[in-house]
Amino acid sequence: MRRTLSILLSNPLSVIGLILVGTVVFSAVFADLIAPFPSHRGAVVDFTNFNQPPHWPNIFGTDLVGRDVFSRILYAYRISLLLGVVVLAIAVPIGVTVGLAAGYLGGWAEFILMRLTDVFLSIPPLVLAMSVMGVLEPTLTNGMLAVTTMWWPWYARLVYNVTRSEAQEGYVLAAEIIGASRLHIMFREILPNCVPSIVTKMTLDLGFVILIASSLSFLGLGVQAPTPDLGSMVAEGGNYLPDSWWLTVFPSLAILIAVFGFNLLGDALRQVLGSDQ
Amino acid sequence: MNRIAKTAAAALLSVSTLALMPAAPALAETVLRLDEVAVGELDPGKATDYADSILMFNVYDTLVLPAQGAPGLVPHLAESWSADGNSHTFKLRQDVKFQSGNPLTAEDVVFSLDRMQELGLGFSYLFTNVEKAEAVDDHTVTFVLKETYAPFVASMLRLPIVDKKLVMENLGEGDGEMKDWGQAFLSANGAGTGAYKVSSHNPQQETVMAKNADYFLGVPGAAPDTVRLRYGLEPATVRTLISQGEHDISSQWLPPEVLKALAQDGAQLLTESGSGAFYVKMNTTKPPLDDPECRLALAKAFDYAAAIKMIAVTDDVSQGSPATGAIPVGMLGANPPSAELVRDLDAAKQHLNSCRYAPGDQTIEISWIAEVPLEERFALLMQANFAELGVKSEIKKMPWALFAEQVSKAENTPHISQIFNNAVTGDPDTLLYGMYDSKAPGTWQSPEHLKDADVDRLLEEGRVNTDESARAKAYHELNNRLMAIAPTIYGYDRQNVFAASDRVKVPALSDPAKAFGLDGMGFSFRLMEMQDQN
Repeated sequence: MRRTLSILLSNPLSVIGLILVGTVVFSAVFADLIAPFPSHRGAVVDFTNFNQPPHWPNIFGTDLVGRDVFSRILYAYRISLLLGVVVLAIAVPIGVTVGLAAGYLGGWAEFILMRLTDVFLSIPPLVLAMSVMGVLEPTLTNGMLAVTTMWWPWYARLVYNVTRSEAQEGYVLAAEIIGASRLHIMFREILPNCVPSIVTKMTLDLGFVILIASSLSFLGLGVQAPTPDLGSMVAEGGNYLPDSWWLTVFPSLAILIAVFGFNLLGDALRQVLGSDQ
Repeated sequence: MNRIAKTAAAALLSVSTLALMPAAPALAETVLRLDEVAVGELDPGKATDYADSILMFNVYDTLVLPAQGAPGLVPHLAESWSADGNSHTFKLRQDVKFQSGNPLTAEDVVFSLDRMQELGLGFSYLFTNVEKAEAVDDHTVTFVLKETYAPFVASMLRLPIVDKKLVMENLGEGDGEMKDWGQAFLSANGAGTGAYKVSSHNPQQETVMAKNADYFLGVPGAAPDTVRLRYGLEPATVRTLISQGEHDISSQWLPPEVLKALAQDGAQLLTESGSGAFYVKMNTTKPPLDDPECRLALAKAFDYAAAIKMIAVTDDVSQGSPATGAIPVGMLGANPPSAELVRDLDAAKQHLNSCRYAPGDQTIEISWIAEVPLEERFALLMQANFAELGVKSEIKKMPWALFAEQVSKAENTPHISQIFNNAVTGDPDTLLYGMYDSKAPGTWQSPEHLKDADVDRLLEEGRVNTDESARAKAYHELNNRLMAIAPTIYGYDRQNVFAASDRVKVPALSDPAKAFGLDGMGFSFRLMEMQDQN
């Protein structure tokens, strides 16, 4: 662990990644303390101070109903991270189980599970999420569901490949000889060897999930007003370019920082954990 | 040369110069570029909204036109008309030809009415009262009404005359003698007498129109040669295109901030007012809004002053003025401007106490039309206003197409819908009947799904009374009734504001003496004047 950390800190890019991710997580967790106008996350309008460029105390300006853009970005991070964590918390176990089963059991199980995965992988992710959201009501829960639907197959594919090569290793053979159950071998012997790849992919993915969720709400299929959401903020602000630039530029930068941060960190973890495959 | 001869020579010279001059600007083809909401319906039997009206008024003509700068109607395709009890007779002009070259006859008028009634779409509700139309001779047509309908002649503003011969030659698939009544053909082609011909039409992208050189009134040389009407442009796109001189007239749906920015950049602001309003419609069939007291509570809690502040464009131009009731100021039955509606939170709380539902019982769904960004702000305003009463609400963004489909059934209609509506013939009957009569089907106009006997009775009185003062009284009473049972929050009286480049002059949208007082008629391209700049 200490070695991992010291390698991480020796690479300037990963340090930047850590700082960015730290900032995003810190903003989301402590939004209530940092936000100058915590009430602006909800149903608040203030027409005495609307559409104002950045000024004190609204350092990122105010939106078209007078809410503080900075405060709303902090709360939007909360939603984005929550979405990322929940999506991965559902998608990863599903994908990992499918991948392990297909990779280790082989035969019909492999055929059915991996062809199913292929079907999901063959549909462009955004289109799949859009069709799920089109059928269901556009709410946060359904947003998570939609993104999850398109996310698990990638983990299935990843774990399947790792499992296939691990299954040939001597330690698996040894476990089989002493009569360990299949479940034991899959989850206690093989899975721990997949963890570095999974962790790396998860870190990389957090950024992408945030990006996809923002794209969905940009298209009007995500979180509904007044809940702050980076994608919808960019979409709404886009109508007022170039005059009210602060409505678009700051939420876009916020997305950039989150996605960039998680990518740098994921990249660094990949090098450190040696899961470069 | 003596003085007289000199003067005569000078006069002759100037005359010849003048005679030569008009030839010069005609060399460059003038193109007018404008935009409207997502879909343009070209079939005049299906047209309803503003984009459709622009197409209708340019590709087709009607028997009468609204007078410019004054109330009343003037002859157009009809030279004159007269009423005898329940029958109205129109004498048609004899010099009118359709764009196809076919002459206009009384048969075409009869066909246009039959088609409208048979399809039962678009503005057909204006003609449910018409028993039949008969061609008396080639250029005389008589409409027989089932019962007296006071604003009948005004409804002729919404009966575009279709080329019967051309449509009959192009009937599509369908059952019966008339097959599809030419729906497939007319949704892609023009078949009118209008000043502009359809060159190409894609309802989701663009309609291109060109001057009709054979128009019976002639089209002035200054009018645009070609018109490109684009659909569904983003406000930021329109903003940029106009600034760069690549667009001429915006739609009325630009947010006030964008209009303001364009005006600051030197764009002119065109306006059109007097016949419409912004309505916040409450579904009277869904709890808690099936209780009038709950509706009144919300109506009293709405911050009317904030709404007006939100739509101000410049110090002089605004997208609206304070509402005084269900009928816009200036229209028959309207309250005076001094009776403007104001927020009264105490009254709202009292009404809420009388409501049979507790405020926290239901969550109210506030919808807004995705194509109109301004409505999201009204949704947020209402959410904040209602929260002060303890009423919970959630905001829902709906694309227009989805909204128009969902309102057909009361149970699918959201609690609250936001609508811009106007009197399609300038008469209050055409504003209110479609919205409030219990017989009117569920359309985008009537998300209230109101069933009220008094409202029905007063609407009927306004229709059958031919006496103007009796009509005014009926509409006044109706206005009061609609305030008392509050199916709607009457947001503000609307003024359409368009940003335009300096390449075009539009007298009908900038000079009150030339204004038509009918939404969309100001977009008669033949009355626009392209400025000689390129």
